[in-house]
Amino acid sequence: MKLTELVETLGLEVRSCSDNLFKKEVTGGYASDLLSDVIGNSRSGDLWITLQAHVNIVAVASMKELSGIILTGGREPDEDTIQKAESEKIVIMVSKLPAFELIGRLYDLGVRGVSNKTS
Amino acid sequence: MNLEDARKVLDAEVIVGTNLEEIDVEMGCGADLMSDVLAFGKKGSLLLTGLTNPQVVRTCEIAEIVGICFVRGKRPPEETITMAREHSLPLLATRVPMFESCGRLYYHGLKGCSETKE
Amino acid sequence: MNVGKTQEMVYEMKVSAVMTRDVITIGSKERMSRLRSLLQGNRISGVPVLEKGQLVGLISIEDFIKWLANDQEDCAIEERMTREVTTIYEDDPLVLAIRKFESTSLGRFPVITRDQKTLVGILTKGDVIEGLLKKLEIDYQEQEARHFPARYLFDNIEADDTSLQLRYNVKGQDFTQAGDSSTRLKRTLRRLGLRSDLVRRIAIASYEAEMNLVIYTEGGRIRAEVEPARVFVEIEDSGPGIADLEKALEPGYSTAPEWVREMGFGAGMGLVNMKKSADEFIIESEPGRGTTLNVSFRINEEPHEVN
Ligand SMILES: Nc1ncnc2c1ncn2[C@@H]1O[C@H](COP(=O)(O)OP(=O)(O)O)[C@@H](O)[C@H]1O
Ligand SMILES: [Mg+2]
Repeated sequence: MKLTELVETLGLEVRSCSDNLFKKEVTGGYASDLLSDVIGNSRSGDLWITLQAHVNIVAVASMKELSGIILTGGREPDEDTIQKAESEKIVIMVSKLPAFELIGRLYDLGVRGVSNKTS
Repeated sequence: MNLEDARKVLDAEVIVGTNLEEIDVEMGCGADLMSDVLAFGKKGSLLLTGLTNPQVVRTCEIAEIVGICFVRGKRPPEETITMAREHSLPLLATRVPMFESCGRLYYHGLKGCSETKE
Repeated sequence: MNVGKTQEMVYEMKVSAVMTRDVITIGSKERMSRLRSLLQGNRISGVPVLEKGQLVGLISIEDFIKWLANDQEDCAIEERMTREVTTIYEDDPLVLAIRKFESTSLGRFPVITRDQKTLVGILTKGDVIEGLLKKLEIDYQEQEARHFPARYLFDNIEADDTSLQLRYNVKGQDFTQAGDSSTRLKRTLRRLGLRSDLVRRIAIASYEAEMNLVIYTEGGRIRAEVEPARVFVEIEDSGPGIADLEKALEPGYSTAPEWVREMGFGAGMGLVNMKKSADEFIIESEPGRGTTLNVSFRINEEPHEVN
Protein backbone atom coordinates (compact mmCIF):
# COMPACT_ATOMS: atom_id res chain seq x y z
CA MET A 1 0.00 0.00 0.00
CA LYS A 2 1.30 3.44 -0.91
CA LEU A 3 1.46 6.24 1.64
CA THR A 4 -0.61 8.48 -0.58
CA GLU A 5 -3.65 6.19 -0.28
CA LEU A 6 -3.54 6.41 3.49
CA VAL A 7 -3.13 10.16 3.43
CA GLU A 8 -6.27 10.53 1.37
CA THR A 9 -8.43 8.02 3.18
CA LEU A 10 -7.52 9.13 6.66
CA GLY A 11 -7.25 12.85 5.97
CA LEU A 12 -3.65 13.05 7.16
CA GLU A 13 -1.74 16.28 6.75
CA VAL A 14 1.74 16.05 5.34
CA ARG A 15 4.46 18.07 7.02
CA SER A 16 7.63 16.99 5.25
CA CYS A 17 8.91 15.43 2.06
CA SER A 18 5.60 15.14 0.23
CA ASP A 19 7.46 14.08 -2.97
CA ASN A 20 7.98 10.72 -1.37
CA LEU A 21 4.29 9.96 -0.79
CA PHE A 22 3.95 8.03 -4.05
CA LYS A 23 7.22 6.20 -3.64
CA LYS A 24 6.97 4.86 -0.13
CA GLU A 25 5.37 1.47 0.27
CA VAL A 26 3.82 0.71 3.66
CA THR A 27 4.37 -2.92 4.59
CA GLY A 28 3.34 -2.82 8.23
CA GLY A 29 2.77 -0.65 11.27
CA TYR A 30 4.69 0.04 14.45
CA ALA A 31 3.45 2.16 17.33
CA SER A 32 5.70 3.36 20.12
CA ASP A 33 6.83 6.51 21.86
CA LEU A 34 10.04 4.99 23.09
CA LEU A 35 12.87 5.47 20.67
CA SER A 36 14.86 2.56 22.01
CA ASP A 37 11.90 0.27 21.38
CA VAL A 38 11.50 1.45 17.79
CA ILE A 39 15.21 1.03 17.17
CA GLY A 40 15.06 -2.47 18.58
CA ASN A 41 11.81 -3.81 17.23
CA SER A 42 10.44 -2.04 14.16
CA ARG A 43 10.87 -3.57 10.68
CA SER A 44 11.83 -1.74 7.53
CA GLY A 45 8.77 -0.52 5.65
CA ASP A 46 6.77 -0.03 8.87
CA LEU A 47 4.72 3.10 9.23
CA TRP A 48 5.57 4.57 12.64
CA ILE A 49 2.80 5.96 14.85
CA THR A 50 4.04 8.16 17.67
CA LEU A 51 3.60 11.26 19.76
CA GLN A 52 7.27 12.08 19.94
CA ALA A 53 7.88 15.20 17.90
CA HIS A 54 11.51 16.00 18.51
CA VAL A 55 14.28 15.72 16.00
CA ASN A 56 15.57 12.31 17.08
CA ILE A 57 12.59 10.56 15.48
CA VAL A 58 13.98 11.36 12.02
CA ALA A 59 17.27 9.66 12.71
CA VAL A 60 15.48 6.58 13.98
CA ALA A 61 13.12 6.42 10.97
CA SER A 62 16.00 6.83 8.59
CA MET A 63 18.20 4.24 10.28
CA LYS A 64 15.39 1.68 10.38
CA GLU A 65 14.16 2.52 6.84
CA LEU A 66 10.62 3.13 8.02
CA SER A 67 8.08 4.16 5.38
CA GLY A 68 6.93 7.23 7.26
CA ILE A 69 5.97 8.79 10.59
CA ILE A 70 2.51 9.84 11.71
CA LEU A 71 2.27 12.10 14.75
CA THR A 72 -1.03 11.59 16.53
CA GLY A 73 -3.31 13.63 18.74
CA GLY A 74 -2.68 16.80 16.74
CA ARG A 75 0.98 16.96 17.77
CA GLU A 76 3.11 19.06 15.42
CA PRO A 77 6.74 18.31 14.58
CA ASP A 78 9.37 20.77 15.84
CA GLU A 79 10.92 23.10 13.28
CA ASP A 80 14.25 21.28 13.32
CA THR A 81 12.43 17.96 13.02
CA ILE A 82 10.88 19.12 9.74
CA GLN A 83 14.20 20.37 8.41
CA LYS A 84 15.96 17.18 9.26
CA ALA A 85 13.12 15.13 7.74
CA GLU A 86 13.41 17.06 4.47
CA SER A 87 17.10 16.35 4.26
CA GLU A 88 16.72 12.69 5.25
CA LYS A 89 13.73 12.20 2.91
CA ILE A 90 11.41 11.07 5.68
CA VAL A 91 7.68 11.72 5.28
CA ILE A 92 6.09 13.13 8.42
CA MET A 93 2.32 13.32 8.61
CA VAL A 94 0.00 14.48 11.38
CA SER A 95 -3.43 13.31 12.48
CA LYS A 96 -5.85 14.76 14.99
CA LEU A 97 -6.84 11.27 16.12
CA PRO A 98 -5.39 9.69 19.26
CA ALA A 99 -3.05 6.78 18.53
CA PHE A 100 -5.55 4.05 19.39
CA GLU A 101 -8.09 5.21 16.84
CA LEU A 102 -5.64 6.02 14.12
CA ILE A 103 -4.16 2.55 14.45
CA GLY A 104 -7.67 1.08 14.39
CA ARG A 105 -8.41 2.84 11.12
CA LEU A 106 -5.10 1.78 9.60
CA TYR A 107 -5.85 -1.77 10.68
CA ASP A 108 -9.22 -1.58 8.95
CA LEU A 109 -7.35 -0.56 5.79
CA GLY A 110 -5.19 -3.63 6.03
CA VAL A 111 -2.04 -2.32 7.74
CA ARG A 112 -0.82 -4.94 10.22
CA GLY A 113 1.67 -5.09 13.00
CA VAL A 114 3.49 -8.23 14.00
CA SER A 115 1.26 -10.60 15.91
CA ASN A 116 3.85 -11.70 18.44
CA LYS A 117 7.10 -10.39 19.63
CA THR A 118 9.37 -13.36 19.16
CA SER A 119 12.60 -13.15 21.07
CA MET B 1 -16.60 -4.87 25.79
CA ASN B 2 -15.43 -6.10 29.17
CA LEU B 3 -11.88 -6.70 30.30
CA GLU B 4 -12.14 -10.46 29.77
CA ASP B 5 -13.19 -9.91 26.13
CA ALA B 6 -10.18 -7.66 25.65
CA ARG B 7 -7.93 -10.23 27.31
CA LYS B 8 -9.07 -12.90 24.87
CA VAL B 9 -8.57 -10.69 21.83
CA LEU B 10 -4.98 -10.09 22.90
CA ASP B 11 -4.38 -13.58 24.26
CA ALA B 12 -3.12 -11.83 27.38
CA GLU B 13 -2.02 -13.23 30.68
CA VAL B 14 -3.59 -11.89 33.89
CA ILE B 15 -1.03 -10.52 36.34
CA VAL B 16 -3.38 -8.74 38.74
CA GLY B 17 -7.15 -8.89 38.88
CA THR B 18 -10.09 -11.25 39.14
CA ASN B 19 -13.59 -11.38 37.63
CA LEU B 20 -12.44 -9.49 34.58
CA GLU B 21 -15.79 -10.02 32.89
CA GLU B 22 -17.35 -7.70 35.44
CA ILE B 23 -15.15 -4.79 34.48
CA ASP B 24 -16.48 -2.71 31.60
CA VAL B 25 -14.00 -1.23 29.20
CA GLU B 26 -15.47 1.68 27.31
CA MET B 27 -12.48 2.85 25.31
CA GLY B 28 -8.95 2.05 24.37
CA CYS B 29 -5.94 4.27 24.80
CA GLY B 30 -2.47 3.40 23.52
CA ALA B 31 0.44 5.44 24.84
CA ASP B 32 3.93 5.22 26.22
CA LEU B 33 3.98 8.79 27.45
CA MET B 34 2.16 9.49 30.66
CA SER B 35 1.18 13.06 29.74
CA ASP B 36 -0.68 11.61 26.81
CA VAL B 37 -2.57 9.21 28.98
CA LEU B 38 -3.58 12.22 31.06
CA ALA B 39 -4.44 14.30 28.01
CA PHE B 40 -6.24 11.72 25.88
CA GLY B 41 -7.16 8.83 28.11
CA LYS B 42 -10.69 9.06 29.39
CA LYS B 43 -12.24 7.72 32.51
CA GLY B 44 -13.15 4.09 31.94
CA SER B 45 -10.47 3.35 29.33
CA LEU B 46 -8.11 0.42 29.03
CA LEU B 47 -4.50 1.55 28.69
CA LEU B 48 -2.18 -0.28 26.32
CA THR B 49 1.42 0.58 27.00
CA GLY B 50 4.97 -0.64 26.65
CA LEU B 51 6.01 1.04 29.88
CA THR B 52 6.02 -1.00 33.06
CA ASN B 53 7.30 1.28 35.84
CA PRO B 54 5.09 2.02 38.88
CA GLN B 55 4.37 5.52 37.55
CA VAL B 56 2.08 3.91 35.01
CA VAL B 57 -0.14 2.67 37.83
CA ARG B 58 -0.10 6.08 39.50
CA THR B 59 -1.04 7.72 36.23
CA CYS B 60 -3.97 5.35 35.78
CA GLU B 61 -5.13 6.10 39.28
CA ILE B 62 -5.11 9.82 38.49
CA ALA B 63 -6.75 9.43 35.08
CA GLU B 64 -9.29 6.82 36.26
CA ILE B 65 -8.19 4.20 33.77
CA VAL B 66 -9.80 0.81 34.56
CA GLY B 67 -6.98 -1.51 33.58
CA ILE B 68 -3.56 -1.80 31.96
CA CYS B 69 -2.38 -4.21 29.33
CA PHE B 70 1.39 -4.30 28.85
CA VAL B 71 2.21 -4.96 25.22
CA ARG B 72 5.04 -6.64 23.26
CA GLY B 73 5.91 -9.15 25.94
CA LYS B 74 6.85 -6.63 28.62
CA ARG B 75 6.65 -7.90 32.19
CA PRO B 76 6.13 -5.38 34.99
CA PRO B 77 8.58 -5.26 37.90
CA GLU B 78 7.47 -6.30 41.37
CA GLU B 79 6.90 -2.69 42.57
CA THR B 80 4.41 -2.13 39.79
CA ILE B 81 2.52 -5.30 40.63
CA THR B 82 2.41 -4.41 44.32
CA MET B 83 1.11 -0.95 43.60
CA ALA B 84 -1.54 -2.26 41.22
CA ARG B 85 -2.74 -4.67 43.92
CA GLU B 86 -2.98 -1.80 46.41
CA HIS B 87 -5.09 0.19 44.00
CA SER B 88 -7.06 -2.85 42.77
CA LEU B 89 -6.03 -2.05 39.23
CA PRO B 90 -6.09 -5.06 36.89
CA LEU B 91 -2.86 -5.77 34.99
CA LEU B 92 -2.63 -7.85 31.83
CA ALA B 93 0.36 -8.72 29.68
CA THR B 94 0.37 -9.70 26.02
CA ARG B 95 3.13 -10.64 23.60
CA VAL B 96 1.33 -8.73 20.86
CA PRO B 97 3.00 -5.37 20.09
CA MET B 98 1.21 -2.04 20.41
CA PHE B 99 0.13 -1.53 16.81
CA GLU B 100 -1.37 -4.96 16.43
CA SER B 101 -3.00 -4.81 19.90
CA CYS B 102 -4.77 -1.53 19.23
CA GLY B 103 -5.76 -2.69 15.74
CA ARG B 104 -7.32 -5.91 16.98
CA LEU B 105 -9.25 -4.29 19.80
CA TYR B 106 -10.55 -1.61 17.47
CA TYR B 107 -11.54 -4.29 14.98
CA HIS B 108 -13.47 -6.03 17.76
CA GLY B 109 -15.42 -2.91 18.49
CA LEU B 110 -13.52 -1.09 21.21
CA LYS B 111 -13.85 2.65 20.64
CA GLY B 112 -11.16 5.27 20.86
CA CYS B 113 -11.24 8.13 23.31
CA SER B 114 -12.27 10.82 20.84
CA GLU B 115 -15.26 8.82 19.60
CA THR B 116 -17.10 8.62 22.87
CA LYS B 117 -18.95 11.31 24.73
CA GLU B 118 -19.36 11.23 28.46
CA MET C 1 -31.60 15.03 49.60
CA ASN C 2 -28.48 12.98 49.84
CA VAL C 3 -26.91 14.39 52.96
CA GLY C 4 -24.35 11.66 53.11
CA LYS C 5 -21.53 10.72 55.32
CA THR C 6 -20.29 14.04 56.62
CA GLN C 7 -23.66 14.85 57.99
CA GLU C 8 -24.00 11.47 59.61
CA MET C 9 -20.63 12.03 61.16
CA VAL C 10 -21.37 15.42 62.66
CA TYR C 11 -24.28 13.80 64.45
CA GLU C 12 -22.45 10.68 65.49
CA MET C 13 -19.09 12.04 66.53
CA LYS C 14 -18.65 13.57 69.95
CA VAL C 15 -16.75 16.68 70.90
CA SER C 16 -14.36 14.57 72.97
CA ALA C 17 -13.20 12.75 69.84
CA VAL C 18 -11.77 15.86 68.21
CA MET C 19 -10.98 18.33 71.01
CA THR C 20 -7.50 19.27 72.13
CA ARG C 21 -6.82 17.62 75.46
CA ASP C 22 -3.74 19.43 76.63
CA VAL C 23 -5.26 22.66 77.82
CA ILE C 24 -3.18 25.45 79.22
CA THR C 25 -4.98 26.90 82.23
CA ILE C 26 -4.39 29.48 84.92
CA GLY C 27 -5.63 29.62 88.53
CA SER C 28 -8.13 32.29 89.51
CA LYS C 29 -5.86 33.52 92.32
CA GLU C 30 -2.79 33.80 90.12
CA ARG C 31 -1.55 37.24 89.12
CA MET C 32 -2.23 39.12 85.89
CA SER C 33 1.51 39.64 85.46
CA ARG C 34 1.97 35.90 84.93
CA LEU C 35 -0.53 35.91 82.10
CA ARG C 36 1.76 37.78 79.72
CA SER C 37 4.38 35.07 79.54
CA LEU C 38 1.71 32.40 79.35
CA LEU C 39 0.02 34.04 76.38
CA GLN C 40 3.28 34.78 74.64
CA GLY C 41 5.01 31.52 75.33
CA ASN C 42 2.15 29.48 74.01
CA ARG C 43 0.84 31.76 71.26
CA ILE C 44 -2.74 31.37 72.35
CA SER C 45 -5.51 33.89 72.48
CA GLY C 46 -7.35 32.86 75.61
CA VAL C 47 -6.88 30.77 78.73
CA PRO C 48 -9.53 28.99 80.86
CA VAL C 49 -9.40 30.01 84.51
CA LEU C 50 -9.71 27.30 87.18
CA GLU C 51 -10.60 27.37 90.83
CA LYS C 52 -10.21 24.09 92.67
CA GLY C 53 -10.25 22.28 89.38
CA GLN C 54 -13.52 23.86 88.29
CA LEU C 55 -13.85 26.20 85.34
CA VAL C 56 -14.81 29.65 86.61
CA GLY C 57 -13.95 31.94 83.71
CA LEU C 58 -11.94 32.71 80.65
CA ILE C 59 -9.24 35.30 80.33
CA SER C 60 -8.46 36.48 76.84
CA ILE C 61 -5.86 38.62 75.13
CA GLU C 62 -8.46 41.41 75.01
CA ASP C 63 -8.87 41.26 78.79
CA PHE C 64 -5.13 41.40 79.13
CA ILE C 65 -4.77 44.38 76.79
CA LYS C 66 -7.50 46.25 78.63
CA TRP C 67 -5.64 45.69 81.83
CA LEU C 68 -2.38 46.89 80.28
CA ALA C 69 -4.02 49.99 78.88
CA ASN C 70 -5.75 51.00 82.11
CA ASP C 71 -4.22 50.46 85.52
CA GLN C 72 -1.61 47.79 85.07
CA GLU C 73 -1.65 47.33 88.78
CA ASP C 74 -1.07 43.69 89.45
CA CYS C 75 -4.12 41.87 90.64
CA ALA C 76 -5.67 38.43 90.69
CA ILE C 77 -6.85 36.91 87.43
CA GLU C 78 -10.38 36.54 88.82
CA GLU C 79 -10.77 40.28 88.95
CA ARG C 80 -10.24 40.65 85.23
CA MET C 81 -11.56 37.49 83.71
CA THR C 82 -14.81 37.02 81.84
CA ARG C 83 -17.16 34.99 83.99
CA GLU C 84 -19.71 34.13 81.35
CA VAL C 85 -18.05 31.35 79.49
CA THR C 86 -19.72 29.51 76.65
CA THR C 87 -18.77 25.91 77.21
CA ILE C 88 -19.63 22.70 75.52
CA TYR C 89 -20.01 19.20 76.96
CA GLU C 90 -17.55 16.51 76.00
CA ASP C 91 -20.39 14.21 74.94
CA ASP C 92 -22.17 16.80 72.79
CA PRO C 93 -22.37 15.86 69.13
CA LEU C 94 -20.18 17.84 66.74
CA VAL C 95 -23.19 19.32 65.03
CA LEU C 96 -23.98 21.21 68.22
CA ALA C 97 -20.47 22.60 68.34
CA ILE C 98 -20.71 23.69 64.71
CA ARG C 99 -24.00 25.50 65.38
CA LYS C 100 -22.55 27.12 68.45
CA PHE C 101 -19.53 28.42 66.56
CA GLU C 102 -21.92 29.91 64.08
CA SER C 103 -24.34 31.53 66.50
CA THR C 104 -21.73 32.96 68.88
CA SER C 105 -18.93 33.71 66.41
CA LEU C 106 -16.54 32.65 69.14
CA GLY C 107 -13.31 30.96 68.18
CA ARG C 108 -13.04 28.37 70.94
CA PHE C 109 -15.03 26.64 73.64
CA PRO C 110 -13.74 25.06 76.83
CA VAL C 111 -14.98 21.48 76.97
CA ILE C 112 -16.38 20.21 80.30
CA THR C 113 -17.86 16.99 81.63
CA ARG C 114 -21.62 16.90 81.97
CA ASP C 115 -21.75 15.70 85.58
CA GLN C 116 -18.81 17.31 87.39
CA LYS C 117 -18.39 20.27 85.01
CA THR C 118 -14.65 19.74 85.10
CA LEU C 119 -12.51 21.02 82.28
CA VAL C 120 -11.25 18.26 79.99
CA GLY C 121 -10.28 20.03 76.79
CA ILE C 122 -10.70 22.92 74.43
CA LEU C 123 -12.36 22.95 71.03
CA THR C 124 -11.63 25.16 68.02
CA LYS C 125 -13.10 25.10 64.51
CA GLY C 126 -9.80 23.75 63.30
CA ASP C 127 -10.18 20.79 65.65
CA VAL C 128 -13.59 20.03 64.19
CA ILE C 129 -12.44 20.09 60.58
CA GLU C 130 -9.31 18.14 61.30
CA GLY C 131 -11.23 15.55 63.28
CA LEU C 132 -13.78 15.05 60.52
CA LEU C 133 -11.07 14.69 57.91
CA LYS C 134 -9.23 12.12 59.97
CA LYS C 135 -12.37 10.15 60.50
CA LEU C 136 -13.13 10.25 56.79
CA GLU C 137 -9.67 8.92 56.16
CA ILE C 138 -10.19 5.97 58.46
CA ASP C 139 -13.66 5.19 57.18
CA TYR C 140 -12.56 5.44 53.60
CA GLN C 141 -10.28 2.46 54.01
CA GLU C 142 -13.28 0.37 54.87
CA GLN C 143 -15.89 1.70 52.54
CA GLU C 144 -14.39 2.78 49.29
CA ALA C 145 -15.88 5.45 47.08
CA ARG C 146 -18.64 6.79 49.25
CA HIS C 147 -19.40 10.37 48.69
CA PHE C 148 -19.22 13.00 51.32
CA PRO C 149 -20.66 16.37 50.41
CA ALA C 150 -18.15 18.99 51.43
CA ARG C 151 -20.74 21.66 50.97
CA TYR C 152 -22.49 20.55 54.11
CA LEU C 153 -19.36 21.09 56.10
CA PHE C 154 -18.96 24.56 54.69
CA ASP C 155 -22.60 25.49 55.08
CA ASN C 156 -22.08 25.21 58.77
CA ILE C 157 -18.66 26.68 59.25
CA GLU C 158 -18.61 29.23 56.49
CA ALA C 159 -19.35 32.10 58.82
CA ASP C 160 -15.68 32.21 59.58
CA ASP C 161 -14.68 32.33 55.93
CA THR C 162 -13.36 28.86 56.31
CA SER C 163 -11.21 27.15 53.83
CA LEU C 164 -9.67 23.79 54.13
CA GLN C 165 -5.98 23.47 53.45
CA LEU C 166 -4.14 20.38 52.37
CA ARG C 167 -0.37 20.51 52.14
CA TYR C 168 2.08 18.09 50.59
CA ASN C 169 5.86 18.09 50.39
CA VAL C 170 7.34 16.66 47.24
CA LYS C 171 10.86 15.29 47.16
CA GLY C 172 12.95 16.11 44.15
CA GLN C 173 14.63 13.44 42.02
CA ASP C 174 12.77 10.68 43.85
CA PHE C 175 10.88 8.64 41.30
CA THR C 176 9.65 6.03 43.74
CA GLN C 177 7.46 8.56 45.54
CA ALA C 178 6.59 10.64 42.50
CA GLY C 179 2.85 11.11 42.15
CA ASP C 180 2.05 10.05 45.68
CA SER C 181 0.99 13.53 46.82
CA SER C 182 -1.40 13.99 43.93
CA THR C 183 -2.87 10.55 44.50
CA ARG C 184 -3.52 11.44 48.14
CA LEU C 185 -4.90 14.84 47.24
CA LYS C 186 -7.23 13.19 44.78
CA ARG C 187 -8.50 10.72 47.35
CA THR C 188 -9.15 13.44 49.92
CA LEU C 189 -11.03 15.65 47.45
CA ARG C 190 -13.12 12.64 46.48
CA ARG C 191 -13.97 12.01 50.08
CA LEU C 192 -14.99 15.58 50.53
CA GLY C 193 -17.63 14.91 47.94
CA LEU C 194 -16.42 17.14 45.11
CA ARG C 195 -17.77 16.19 41.70
CA SER C 196 -15.70 13.41 40.21
CA ASP C 197 -14.87 15.06 36.89
CA LEU C 198 -13.65 18.09 38.81
CA VAL C 199 -11.53 15.94 41.09
CA ARG C 200 -10.02 14.27 38.04
CA ARG C 201 -9.07 17.60 36.49
CA ILE C 202 -7.50 18.82 39.71
CA ALA C 203 -5.58 15.56 40.09
CA ILE C 204 -4.26 15.71 36.53
CA ALA C 205 -2.96 19.26 37.00
CA SER C 206 -1.45 18.48 40.36
CA TYR C 207 0.19 15.30 39.08
CA GLU C 208 1.83 17.02 36.12
CA ALA C 209 3.12 19.74 38.44
CA GLU C 210 4.35 17.16 40.92
CA MET C 211 6.24 15.30 38.21
CA ASN C 212 7.92 18.55 37.22
CA LEU C 213 9.00 19.07 40.83
CA VAL C 214 10.48 15.58 40.85
CA ILE C 215 12.22 15.86 37.49
CA TYR C 216 13.45 19.44 37.40
CA THR C 217 13.89 20.56 41.01
CA GLU C 218 15.23 19.47 44.37
CA GLY C 219 11.66 19.34 45.63
CA GLY C 220 8.81 21.65 46.42
CA ARG C 221 5.39 22.04 47.93
CA ILE C 222 1.81 21.54 46.85
CA ARG C 223 -0.89 23.35 48.74
CA ALA C 224 -4.54 22.87 47.94
CA GLU C 225 -7.17 25.15 49.37
CA VAL C 226 -10.78 24.07 49.20
CA GLU C 227 -13.33 26.81 49.46
CA PRO C 228 -17.09 26.58 49.01
CA ALA C 229 -16.95 27.84 45.43
CA ARG C 230 -13.50 26.90 44.21
CA VAL C 231 -10.42 24.81 44.67
CA PHE C 232 -7.11 26.54 44.48
CA VAL C 233 -3.85 24.67 44.04
CA GLU C 234 -0.46 26.26 44.45
CA ILE C 235 2.70 24.42 43.48
CA GLU C 236 5.98 26.06 44.27
CA ASP C 237 9.66 25.27 44.27
CA SER C 238 12.88 27.15 44.73
CA GLY C 239 14.59 25.23 41.97
CA PRO C 240 16.31 26.34 38.76
CA GLY C 241 13.32 28.25 37.35
CA ILE C 242 12.37 28.46 33.70
CA ALA C 243 14.33 30.76 31.42
CA ASP C 244 11.87 30.96 28.55
CA LEU C 245 8.32 30.60 29.82
CA GLU C 246 6.74 31.06 26.44
CA LYS C 247 8.71 28.17 25.05
CA ALA C 248 8.01 25.96 28.06
CA LEU C 249 4.28 26.44 27.47
CA GLU C 250 4.49 25.24 23.86
CA PRO C 251 3.12 21.73 23.35
CA GLY C 252 6.00 19.32 22.90
CA TYR C 253 8.74 21.54 24.31
CA SER C 254 10.79 19.68 26.87
CA THR C 255 14.26 19.75 28.32
CA ALA C 256 13.81 16.35 29.96
CA PRO C 257 16.79 14.03 29.51
CA GLU C 258 16.44 10.81 27.56
CA TRP C 259 16.14 8.57 30.63
CA VAL C 260 13.13 10.59 31.78
CA ARG C 261 11.55 10.13 28.36
CA GLU C 262 12.14 6.43 28.54
CA MET C 263 10.15 6.45 31.77
CA GLY C 264 7.23 7.99 29.93
CA PHE C 265 7.71 11.60 30.98
CA GLY C 266 9.15 14.60 29.19
CA ALA C 267 6.66 14.70 26.33
CA GLY C 268 6.46 18.44 26.81
CA MET C 269 2.75 18.30 27.52
CA GLY C 270 2.71 18.86 31.26
CA LEU C 271 2.10 22.59 31.38
CA VAL C 272 -0.28 22.29 28.44
CA ASN C 273 -2.28 19.65 30.28
CA MET C 274 -2.40 21.76 33.42
CA LYS C 275 -3.66 24.76 31.53
CA LYS C 276 -6.28 22.69 29.79
CA SER C 277 -7.49 21.16 33.04
CA ALA C 278 -7.74 24.37 35.02
CA ASP C 279 -10.20 27.23 34.96
CA GLU C 280 -7.38 29.60 35.77
CA PHE C 281 -3.68 29.00 35.32
CA ILE C 282 -0.90 31.36 36.30
CA ILE C 283 2.78 30.51 36.12
CA GLU C 284 5.60 32.62 37.45
CA SER C 285 9.22 31.69 37.23
CA GLU C 286 12.58 33.26 37.69
CA PRO C 287 15.80 31.53 36.69
CA GLY C 288 17.82 30.67 39.76
CA ARG C 289 14.90 31.43 42.05
CA GLY C 290 12.15 28.97 41.41
CA THR C 291 8.74 28.48 39.91
CA THR C 292 5.24 29.05 41.26
CA LEU C 293 2.08 27.77 39.67
CA ASN C 294 -1.36 28.96 40.68
CA VAL C 295 -4.10 26.80 39.35
CA SER C 296 -7.74 27.19 40.26
CA PHE C 297 -10.94 25.35 39.59
CA ARG C 298 -14.53 26.50 39.99
CA ILE C 299 -16.67 24.11 41.95
CA ASN C 300 -20.10 24.98 40.67
CA GLU C 301 -19.47 24.93 36.97
CA GLU C 302 -21.31 22.58 34.69
CA PRO C 303 -19.44 19.30 34.29
CA HIS C 304 -16.63 19.58 31.81
CA GLU C 305 -13.99 17.03 30.95
CA VAL C 306 -10.37 17.69 30.16
CA ASN C 307 -10.67 16.04 26.83
N1 LIG D 1 9.20 23.42 38.24
C1 LIG D 1 10.02 23.56 37.18
N2 LIG D 1 11.30 24.00 37.36
C2 LIG D 1 12.12 24.15 36.31
N3 LIG D 1 11.78 23.90 35.03
C3 LIG D 1 10.54 23.47 34.77
C4 LIG D 1 9.59 23.27 35.83
N4 LIG D 1 8.44 22.86 35.27
C5 LIG D 1 8.64 22.80 33.95
N5 LIG D 1 9.90 23.17 33.63
C6 LIG D 1 10.46 23.30 32.27
O1 LIG D 1 9.40 23.43 31.35
C7 LIG D 1 9.44 22.39 30.37
C8 LIG D 1 8.06 21.98 29.97
O2 LIG D 1 7.40 21.37 31.08
P1 LIG D 1 6.19 20.40 30.82
O3 LIG D 1 5.19 21.10 29.97
O4 LIG D 1 5.73 19.85 32.10
O5 LIG D 1 6.81 19.25 29.92
P2 LIG D 1 7.85 18.09 30.28
O6 LIG D 1 7.90 17.95 31.76
O7 LIG D 1 7.26 16.91 29.62
O8 LIG D 1 9.14 18.50 29.69
C9 LIG D 1 10.26 21.31 31.01
O9 LIG D 1 10.92 20.48 30.06
C10 LIG D 1 11.27 22.10 31.85
O10 LIG D 1 12.32 22.58 31.04
MG1 LIG E 1 6.20 17.89 32.92
